[in-house]
Amino acid sequence: MRGLRHFLRYLLWMNGRTLKRHPWRVCAVLLGIALGAIAFTGVRLAVDASLDSFTQSMNLLSGKADWSVVRPGGRVQEDLVAELRNVPGLRGVSPVIMSYVAPTEANQEPFLLIGLAPILDRQFRDWQVLSGDKESRNLWLDLMRRPYTLVLSRRLATRLGRGPGDEIGLEHVHQAKRFHVLGILEPKGLALVHNGNIAVCDVATMQEFMGLHGKIDRIDLRFDNREDPKTMDQVKALLPPGTVVQPATARKDMGKELISSYQLNLSVLSFVSLFVGLFLVYSLVSINAASRRRDLAVFHSLGASSRLVFLLILSEGALLGILGWLIAIPAGRFLVKYWVAGIGNTINTLFVRVEVSGLQLDPWELVLSFLVTVLISAAGAYKPARQATRIQPREVMILEGGGGMAWRGPKVRTAVLGAVLVVAAWPLAELPLVSRSPIAGYVAVFSLIVGFSLLTLPFLQWGGERVPRVLRRLGGVPAFLAARYLRGVDERTSISVGAMVIAVSLFVSLAIMVHSFRETVTLWVNQTLSGDLFVRAEMAGMNQYRDPLPQDVVDAFQEFEVDAELMPYQRLYLEYRGIPYQLEAMALDVLFRNGDFMLLDKEVEEVRDALLAGKGVLVSEVFSNRTGLEVGETFRVRLEGEEFAWPVLAIARDYRTRGGAVFMDFGHFQEITGSREWGGVRFFFQNRDNLEASVEALRKKIILCCAMEHPLEILSGSQLRGEVLEIFDETFAVTAVLLLIALCIAGLGIAGTLTVLVMERSRQLNTLIAIGAGQGQLRRMVLWEAVLMVAAGEAIGLVGGLCLSQLLIYVINPQSFGWTFLYRVDWFTLAVSLPVILATALLAAVPATQSVMRLSPAGVLKEG
Amino acid sequence: MKEAHKKTIIAAEKLTRIYTTGSTEVAGVQDIDLAVSTGELIVLKGNSGSGKSTLLGLLGGLDQPTRGRLVVDGRDLQLASPKELNRYRRDVVGMIFQTFNLLPTLTVLENVSLPGLLADRKYSEVQEEADRFLEWLNIRSRRDHYPGQLSGGEMQRAAIVRALINRPAIILADEPTGNLDSTNGEAVMALLGEVNARLESTVIIATHSTLADQYATRQICLKDGAITEISACAA
Repeated sequence: MRGLRHFLRYLLWMNGRTLKRHPWRVCAVLLGIALGAIAFTGVRLAVDASLDSFTQSMNLLSGKADWSVVRPGGRVQEDLVAELRNVPGLRGVSPVIMSYVAPTEANQEPFLLIGLAPILDRQFRDWQVLSGDKESRNLWLDLMRRPYTLVLSRRLATRLGRGPGDEIGLEHVHQAKRFHVLGILEPKGLALVHNGNIAVCDVATMQEFMGLHGKIDRIDLRFDNREDPKTMDQVKALLPPGTVVQPATARKDMGKELISSYQLNLSVLSFVSLFVGLFLVYSLVSINAASRRRDLAVFHSLGASSRLVFLLILSEGALLGILGWLIAIPAGRFLVKYWVAGIGNTINTLFVRVEVSGLQLDPWELVLSFLVTVLISAAGAYKPARQATRIQPREVMILEGGGGMAWRGPKVRTAVLGAVLVVAAWPLAELPLVSRSPIAGYVAVFSLIVGFSLLTLPFLQWGGERVPRVLRRLGGVPAFLAARYLRGVDERTSISVGAMVIAVSLFVSLAIMVHSFRETVTLWVNQTLSGDLFVRAEMAGMNQYRDPLPQDVVDAFQEFEVDAELMPYQRLYLEYRGIPYQLEAMALDVLFRNGDFMLLDKEVEEVRDALLAGKGVLVSEVFSNRTGLEVGETFRVRLEGEEFAWPVLAIARDYRTRGGAVFMDFGHFQEITGSREWGGVRFFFQNRDNLEASVEALRKKIILCCAMEHPLEILSGSQLRGEVLEIFDETFAVTAVLLLIALCIAGLGIAGTLTVLVMERSRQLNTLIAIGAGQGQLRRMVLWEAVLMVAAGEAIGLVGGLCLSQLLIYVINPQSFGWTFLYRVDWFTLAVSLPVILATALLAAVPATQSVMRLSPAGVLKEG
Repeated sequence: MKEAHKKTIIAAEKLTRIYTTGSTEVAGVQDIDLAVSTGELIVLKGNSGSGKSTLLGLLGGLDQPTRGRLVVDGRDLQLASPKELNRYRRDVVGMIFQTFNLLPTLTVLENVSLPGLLADRKYSEVQEEADRFLEWLNIRSRRDHYPGQLSGGEMQRAAIVRALINRPAIILADEPTGNLDSTNGEAVMALLGEVNARLESTVIIATHSTLADQYATRQICLKDGAITEISACAA
């Protein structure tokens, strides 16, 4: 205990007070660490908020159910409920229908309406109508007695401005209907699903409202013994073909997995900011250790062990981490709030529906962020600490300090290590996924960026040998001296440039990735998402296309006399070997006349005929990567209880946000399933003149004929494509902020390094003043040093970024999301941004040039 | 009677320290034989580069001999591990340097307490002892000042207190007056003489100056890393 107290004393005396002597330098580093910690913690907390919201909702929705009977791509027969209730070993059976519905009033958000059998459901879910008196306690029974009645969660009631006894109009593709509000749900259990945006009604009401006679979404089952094989066999024996029993948590597990992999992506990206912060810590701690070299020798000479010196320096790094983290947590609140909203929206769009109410500080996340920040900071201090242990106690006998920096030959070992890491990135990237996560891919990314940052030192020394003469002609003596300085540059300076290399590499690679992605998506929306008007059931996307267009709407469309081709399609949400995907049957002949697929390694002409003849399917790149199904292999699917198998003809690029897709011809689909339902339809105008007016006229016609009775989503092609690209841009907004943070931290590193360089070389600079150099010349010299360092950082960063972008596009994206895109370098953005980064970093050099002003030539007369 | 209790505290045989720079070897000290008894005050003399500081570094456990044998207070320093050398520096010797080597971020009290803390003594106990020494050396009023706020003489006195705080058997001083004016130089030498007399510590002073001569029991002259002369002085 006394040892610890003494250690803390040394830490305060030797490290704490040294830090106090350079408040601005310390502030810059703390700011860097804090930004890194904010990025890392904020992103994780924001994703956690969505994950928690989703998990809570899913748990409340599945309640105590062990298993669920479902029919992938369709609905379950209601008769099955009665049959299942006779199975011994089943404690409970509960039919469920869930659908997003929209209030008929304008500008009201849709909410989840859950249809349950109130008596059967008692065993499954916790929900109760808020009751004051005896009479209102039995209100839930009225849900069964009176059609078109519902109970609202309190939050929803407040949002809609409705209470018991009020009426509310709701619409669904089948019809719009007025519901009577019986009461308010107690604020617990089911009432908390989706942050309270739910209402409950009787399952029969729901069937009538949605036109689902005799059909339900699923049947929840509660077993006496969850794993009892006998009961399971009896249940399975009752199921008609195409109907399956799956764990009640299946949807939750799938959703959690999707969100978790998104969280891993963002965590890695935000970790880069912390990683760049490590370089700042390294820079500050090594500068401090070097400036205290003599003090450390004295400390050693007084009997301090090497271990103690090592721990002191290491603790200095950790201390910076702790302080940075303490600043980050309160300071990052604003950014975290923004991320909670942004990331929540992205998860909503890309993966699963979540309603995030706010941020909950998870103690484990805080502990994780604290540990990661402190460990990263301590890691930054590791090398200086190791170097400090090599300080010999006999150095106290030397009268003068180390003096100026001696020229050191290029660090061959560093260069070789850097090159090895760069080269190793590719074989690393080829390693298989670990628990479905692209860990090896991320290791490859780090190997690459660390490799390039290690190449900085030899590059600077090499440049210092070759550029001075050229620069003398360009910028006079100051430029010459600045370039000469590079020749003798040491590890500390190169580390700061290395941080710049990492930030620029990341910037360049992400700029290329986002640009390539956007270009490809733009091409995709214009080809595969072609169409001038899109019509589908209202909230079809949210309700996973379970409700097709009503038959009278389909009939009306077929009788329209418009100069447009109709491309009907049907979309089924299915699973293939446990992986969710969408089976999309489209009228391909119409699509081929008006749009196209973007195939990988094949031309559409090669597969068109086979596709139209129903002799095969196209699978999306995501589907192929997730399932491992390649061209030539057989895709199997069970439709309407019957199994079908088709060869995979080609792999198509597809960027829909919820999993992979399989495409087949609509006519063939109708033939084999006997279904005449349309999930939606696209209209292609043949006469492209005055297209907007034609689209508008058709929209009006559809509203007049059908949308008054059946709520429909009617979107023009340009509107839909615009929305897709808007979602795309929103998705990358978080990335842009993370990138900006990494660049800011790197800028802080450059600023700190330059200031220290001036301070460390005050004797050298004073000598220059003493022999006639003006302060203006010295300032120019420092500025040139900044230019050269940042330019070197940008040059290496550019090369690193180009390599990294290949890894991101061809390794990380397929491993994380299952897709690749066409490689396109955004030269314009790079041409504009790199000079802007240079200019910004030069602004960071201003304090350093200012510090030259404070030099006094008399300093040359002083010792040390 | 007092002489009868004296024992050899330092014994050096063929003590040699060779520095290697590239392919060049330079002998810091070479084949030195030396025996020092407890309570002696020895003055090491010689020109710059004669090996005074090297010898002091070896005696102080800051460096280790290339060959030969060096036994101090029963410890064979050539065979000592880094850990044993740390303990030796902490418990057996106290060092005083020409440039004082006070840590600039620590107050005088903290500076002088540091060896006590490194020896894992109670801070309050170390502080009390430090105060007594600071009082004795007449700088107690400066205990809460930082080194940058002290004069050269005060800094050296603080360095002496730091060397004494663990009551080491041996005090080693490397040019302790080298950075002081003559008045302060004389005072420091007088203090070292007093330390030798009152605490019965063995004191070895490496110096160009003649100020220590009057307190010396022996003077040893070094030239090119070897002892050229040993002369007994009046104690």
